[in-house]
Amino acid sequence: MDASELKNLSASRTVDARGTSCPGPLLEAKKAIGTIMPGEIMEVLSSDEGTKVDIPKWCQKQGHEYLGTVEENGYFRIFLKKG
Amino acid sequence: MKNSKMCLALFSGSIDKLTAAGIIISGAVANDMTIDVYVLLQGARAMLKDIARDKEKLSMAENANLRDEFLKSCKELNVKEWHEFFKEAKEIGDVKFHICGLAGKIWGGYKMEDFVEFADDIVGISEYISAAQEADVHLFI
Repeated sequence: MDASELKNLSASRTVDARGTSCPGPLLEAKKAIGTIMPGEIMEVLSSDEGTKVDIPKWCQKQGHEYLGTVEENGYFRIFLKKG
Repeated sequence: MKNSKMCLALFSGSIDKLTAAGIIISGAVANDMTIDVYVLLQGARAMLKDIARDKEKLSMAENANLRDEFLKSCKELNVKEWHEFFKEAKEIGDVKFHICGLAGKIWGGYKMEDFVEFADDIVGISEYISAAQEADVHLFI
């Protein structure tokens, strides 16, 4: 998905992990994913550069669909669909 | 999918290596691995109740002169302390901390109540060998 499509998504859950370092955002995502249903969208906010790579990898392993990342000023919005 | 297993031999009781272990355990737990940590010699000292949360009692494994810089940076970057990583990983997933009985005794830790509350049991070496044989990932820190 491109940035404009991603920005139009409405996430069932937004996890704000800005200000934490690796593995903070990943752990927050792990904790939150259990609270949404398969097919629902989750958005992870992170200011940690590594999360951009970590979350897609994690999605692949866990069977979630990584939708894309939007770069904002000083942080990333990472979108995924629960598998 | 069957959960894969990680076996970690935690020999070190130094604050930098304990932090690294905490981050690795957290990553493994996020990926639904089953993790067995065998806490050996210096690691068992760090797991003593009176030592674990007292940074002054734990040294650096490498570059001792960089200790202050390390601790300051970790604080600024909002990195949890090692024991917080350990504890949180247990809250999220299947992680067990097994203390080597001999190692405990070397540092004066004889019973479970001598160790941090997130320690699971006191074991002998064959438990570790069996876990290492069965694990998909085996690390020594």
